[in-house]
Amino acid sequence: MTRYIIRRIISVIPTLIGVTFVIFMFQRLIPGDPAIAMLGEHATEDSINRIREQFGLNRPLFLDREALATGDLSGFFDSQYVNYMERLSHLDLGESIHRRIPVLETLKLRFPATVELSLLSMIIAILIGIPVGIISASRRNSLIDSVSMVGSLIGVSMPIFWLGLMEIMLLAVILKWLPAGGRLSTGFEINGITHLYLVDSLLNGDLAGFKDALSHIIMPAVALATIPMGIIARMTRSSMLDVLQEDYIRTARAKGLGGRLVLFRHALKNAALPVVTIIGLQAGTLLAGAVLTETIFSWPGIGRWVYDAILGRDYPIVQGGTLLIALIFVAVNLIVDILYALLDPRIRYK
Amino acid sequence: MTQINPEEFIVTDFAVREHRSLWGDAWRRLISSNTARLGMFVVILFISSATLSHFFWEYEPKKDLDYSLKLKAPNLTVTEEIPSIHPFGTDKLGRDIFRRVVHGGWNSLRVGIVAVGISLIFGGVIGLLTGFYETITMTTVERITLFGISGFLLGSLSAWIANQPLQLVGFTLLGLVAGYFEGFWAGQLKRVVFFSVLGILISAVPALFAGSSVALVCGVLGLLTGIFLALALDGRFFSNVMMRIMDMILSFPGYLLAIAIVAFLGPGLGKGMIAIGVVGIPVYARLTRSAVLSVVNKEYILAAQSVGESHGRIIFRHITPNILSPIIVQTTMGLANAILSAAALGFLGLGAIPPEPEWGAMLGDSYRYLTSGAWWAVLFPGLAIMLSVLGFNLLGDGLRDALDPKLRT
Amino acid sequence: MKHLLEVKNLETRFYMQDGVVKAVNNVSYTMDRGEILGVVGESGCGKSVHALSMMQLIPYPPGKITNGEVWLDGQDLLTLSEEEMQKVRGREIAMIFQDPMTSLNPVYTVGFQIMEALLLHNNMSRREARDRAGELLELVGIPGAKDRLDDYPHQFSGGMRQRAMIAMGLSCEPKLLIADEPTTALDVTIQAQIIDLVKKLQDELGMAIMWITHDLGVVAELAHTINVMYAGSIVETGKIHNIYKDTKHPYTIGLLGSLPRLDDAPGTELVSIPGLPPDLLALPEGCPFAARCVYRIDKCLAEKPPLVEINGKDHAVACWRWEEIAGMGSR
Repeated sequence: MTRYIIRRIISVIPTLIGVTFVIFMFQRLIPGDPAIAMLGEHATEDSINRIREQFGLNRPLFLDREALATGDLSGFFDSQYVNYMERLSHLDLGESIHRRIPVLETLKLRFPATVELSLLSMIIAILIGIPVGIISASRRNSLIDSVSMVGSLIGVSMPIFWLGLMEIMLLAVILKWLPAGGRLSTGFEINGITHLYLVDSLLNGDLAGFKDALSHIIMPAVALATIPMGIIARMTRSSMLDVLQEDYIRTARAKGLGGRLVLFRHALKNAALPVVTIIGLQAGTLLAGAVLTETIFSWPGIGRWVYDAILGRDYPIVQGGTLLIALIFVAVNLIVDILYALLDPRIRYK
Repeated sequence: MTQINPEEFIVTDFAVREHRSLWGDAWRRLISSNTARLGMFVVILFISSATLSHFFWEYEPKKDLDYSLKLKAPNLTVTEEIPSIHPFGTDKLGRDIFRRVVHGGWNSLRVGIVAVGISLIFGGVIGLLTGFYETITMTTVERITLFGISGFLLGSLSAWIANQPLQLVGFTLLGLVAGYFEGFWAGQLKRVVFFSVLGILISAVPALFAGSSVALVCGVLGLLTGIFLALALDGRFFSNVMMRIMDMILSFPGYLLAIAIVAFLGPGLGKGMIAIGVVGIPVYARLTRSAVLSVVNKEYILAAQSVGESHGRIIFRHITPNILSPIIVQTTMGLANAILSAAALGFLGLGAIPPEPEWGAMLGDSYRYLTSGAWWAVLFPGLAIMLSVLGFNLLGDGLRDALDPKLRT
Repeated sequence: MKHLLEVKNLETRFYMQDGVVKAVNNVSYTMDRGEILGVVGESGCGKSVHALSMMQLIPYPPGKITNGEVWLDGQDLLTLSEEEMQKVRGREIAMIFQDPMTSLNPVYTVGFQIMEALLLHNNMSRREARDRAGELLELVGIPGAKDRLDDYPHQFSGGMRQRAMIAMGLSCEPKLLIADEPTTALDVTIQAQIIDLVKKLQDELGMAIMWITHDLGVVAELAHTINVMYAGSIVETGKIHNIYKDTKHPYTIGLLGSLPRLDDAPGTELVSIPGLPPDLLALPEGCPFAARCVYRIDKCLAEKPPLVEINGKDHAVACWRWEEIAGMGSR
C-alpha cells in the first residue's frame, strides 16, 4: 500500500514538470510583447529595454548557446525558463504587470472564494447525483429511472453560463429572491481562519452573515453543480448496473442476503470505484467551469481573474492562476487514486 | 417389435436460424429505443436546418442592423410599431434572433464537427499505436524507425547547442545502428559503454570547433544519448512517453486549456475549433488505447499474427473494426461536448468574431440586457445550445445501448 | 413427507424484445434426502435456469416463473414472499456457481464472505462466526485455513476459490446444495479434487446435492440419479445404472456416444450429435430434439412426447419410440 502511494506520487512528478513547462510556453508564446503591454504603445525603445532587462525578458527562453560558446557555463543556464523555475521553487509567482501586486497575495485572497464555490457545488452534485444513480439502477426501466436519466442527461447537456443567466433572470430579476451577484452584500463582513464564508460565519455564530453568504453562493453553486451532478448520476447508475450483473451479486443473493444488503454492501462498494474516479475528474470541470460561472455572477474567485488576465496579457497572473488550478487538479486525482487503492484490494496488494 | 440400433446415425439438421449482421442488429436496437429516436430527430433537425439555411436562406450579418427594432419582444403578428415578424424577438442591434439562431447553428455545428475530427484523428492514431505496441513486439523495421527517431530527437539538443546540424545525422545514424544491432552485446555493460563512447565522439568532437565548454556540454549530452540508445527501447516505452504527454494535457482542466490556446492563437471560429480539438485529443487517445488493449490479447489477433499478417493489416483489419463501438459512442457524445465548449468560448468572446452569428457569442452579446428585461435575447440561443447538445447526448446514449452487448436485455 | 424436494411442472420464461424464450418447460421430478442428482445437458438447455428458478434468483424482468410448484420439505417455495425466500436461501438450499473467479466479491475478504451467511441465518456472534468460517475453510481442505480468512479472493487460486465457495455453501448446513457446473472453469486435476471433496463432504454431512453439468463423465462418478435436459425439458431421468446401461432417449444416446470410454475397442469412433439445439425463442411444436434425431417419424414433429415411466424401473423417458430403441448398454 505504502509502496503504491509512493509510486503514484513519483509518477506525478513528470506531469508537474510538464505542466509548469506548458504554462511557461503559453505565457511566452502569447502574441504581444509584455513590456509593451506594461508601458503602453508609445513607450521608448530605451524604457522597453529597461523593463525587459528588469523582468529577464531579454534572456533566451531555455538555454543560451552563445554564452556557452564564449565559455560561460553559468550564462548558459541563465534563461527565462531556468529563472522561472527557480522563482517557482520559492513560491515566487511574480507581480501583476498592471497592478504591481504580488500574484501570490491576490491568489490568497481570491482562492478561497473559488474553493468555497467549487466545494459546495461538488457537495451538491454528489449528494444528489449518487442517490439518484443508485435509485435509478435499482429500479431499472421504471418511471423514476427514465425521469432521472433524462433529467441527468439534460444536466450534462446544460450550458452552465446560460443556466446561470436563467437563474438570475428568474430568481433575481423577476422574483427578486436572491442577489444577482457578488459574494456578500455590502455592510456584511465575515472574518475567520478558513476564508470560506459559509464555514467562518457558522464558526463565528454569525447567522445573518451565513444567510447572506448562502443567498449569494446558492445560484452559482447550483449552476456549477449541474454538469457534474448529471455525470455522477449517470456514472453511478451504469456502474451499479454493471456490478449488479456480476456473479458475486448472485452469490450474495444465494446466501440469503436481502435486496438492501446486496445493494449497499456488495454492489455499492464495487460500483464506487469508477464513480470516485469520475468525481476526481469533475474537479477539473468545476475549476474550469468557475471561469464562466464567476464571470456571470461577479464572483471574486480565480477563474474570472485568470480570464481577465489572459485578455489583458498579465502573464504572471495567468501563470500563477493556471498553475494553481492545474496543481489542484493533479492533487485531487492523486488523492482519488489513493482512495481507489483503499477501496479495491486488488490494487492495494499489487 | 423391430429394434433400431443406435449406430445408425445419419446427419440431419434443419434447425435453421435467421441470419443477423452485427450492425443490422445494433441498428434495430437503436431505432427501437425512444430516447435514441428522439436524439436522432433532434440531431437531424438541427443539422438540416443549419445546412439548409446556410445554403438557401441568405443572411449577411455585416449588413444586419436596425436600431428602430432594438430589443423587441417576440411577436407573431405584424403590428404598426413592428412591421416584421420576429418569433424570437430582436437583439440590441435590432437583428432578428430567430434568423441568427438558425444561422448560428451552422457555425456551432461546424466547430463541433471539426474539433471532434481533430481530436478523433490525432487521438485515435495515438491510441491505436500505443495500445498496439504496448503489447505486440515491434518488427525490426519498426524498431529501427523508433530508434532512429529517438536518436534524432535526442541529438537535436546537442546539435542546437553546438550549432552544428551535422550532428543530427550522426545521432540519427547512431539510433538506426542501435536499432538494427539490437542483439549486439544485449543487456551487457559493454553495449552501454560502446554506445556512450560513440555518442561522445559524435557530439563532442565536432563541438570542439565551437569551443571547449561547448564540447564539454555536448559530450555530456552525447554520453546520455548513447546510454539511452544502448537500452532496449520498445513499444511499451513509446507508449509510456505518449501517455505521459496525454496526462499532461489532461491535467489542464477542461476549457481552461482551450481558453489559453485561443488566447495564444487569437480569437476566431477556426482557432476555437483547433483549441477544442487539441484539448480533446487525450480523451480519444486514452479511450482508443484502452479499447485496443482489451482486444489485442484476444485469440483472433494471435491467430492473425500466427499466419504472418503484417502489423498494419492487423491494426486495420482486425483491431479497428472491433473497437469501433466505444469510439462511435464517444464521438457522438464528444460532438455534444465540443458544441458546449465552443459556446463557452463564444460566450467569453473568444470564439466567433462579431457580427458572425454563433450561439455562445449571441449569449455573451446580450446577457447584459437581461436585467432590463430582454429575456428572449438570452433564452433562445441558450435553448438552441442545450437542445442540440441534448440531441447528440441522447443519440450517443442510444448508440451505447445499441452497440454494447453487455447491457442487452 | 417422503421426498426432500418435489418439483412440479416448473416453467420459466424470459420475455425479450425479440419474443419469449421458453427456458424451462414443464419440468417435474423429485429428490430424496442425501441423494445426489446429476442434471445433464448442453449449455443453454435450461439446467441452470431451472435451478435459479427454484431459488427465485431469475433476473426479473425479463425472467419470470410462469407455472409450477417447488416443494422443499413440505413448503412450496414459489408461494413464499421474497423475505421468506431469503431465509430459505443459504440456509435450506445453498448454491455454488460455475466460475469461482467472478463469484466471489473482490472487495471483501474470503472470511467475511463465509461469515456473512452465518451471521445472517445462525444468529452467531462475529467471533463465533469467524471461528466457524475457519473450521469450514479447513473442512474444504484449504491449508492454513485460519490464516487465510483475511485474504481477498484475488489472493486465492481458482481451485481454492471454488473450495471457499463450497465452504460458503455449506456454512449453514443446508438440506440441499445446488452445484451449478462447479468444476467447468477449473483444470482437470483440480476438477477431480473438487469432486472427491464433494463426495467426502456428502458422506460426512449427508445433505442432498444437485450437480448441474454438461459432462456426463463427471456425474457418472458422483450421482445416484440423473436428469437429462434438452431445450428446457427433461427428456430422460432415472437411476444412474439405468441411464448408462439402458439408455433410451436418442439424445442421451448421442451424449453418451460422444463420450470416450476406456473399454472402447481401439479405433471406435466417437459419435457426435449433428446440428444445434433449437432456438428457445421458437420451440418447435413437437419433440424439441426431432430436428436432430435419426429416429424421427412424423409424429415426433407434430406432438411433444410426454415423460413416461419405463415400468417400475426408476426410469422415465420422453420419446415416442423408446420401446424400439435398443439400450446403449446393449451394444
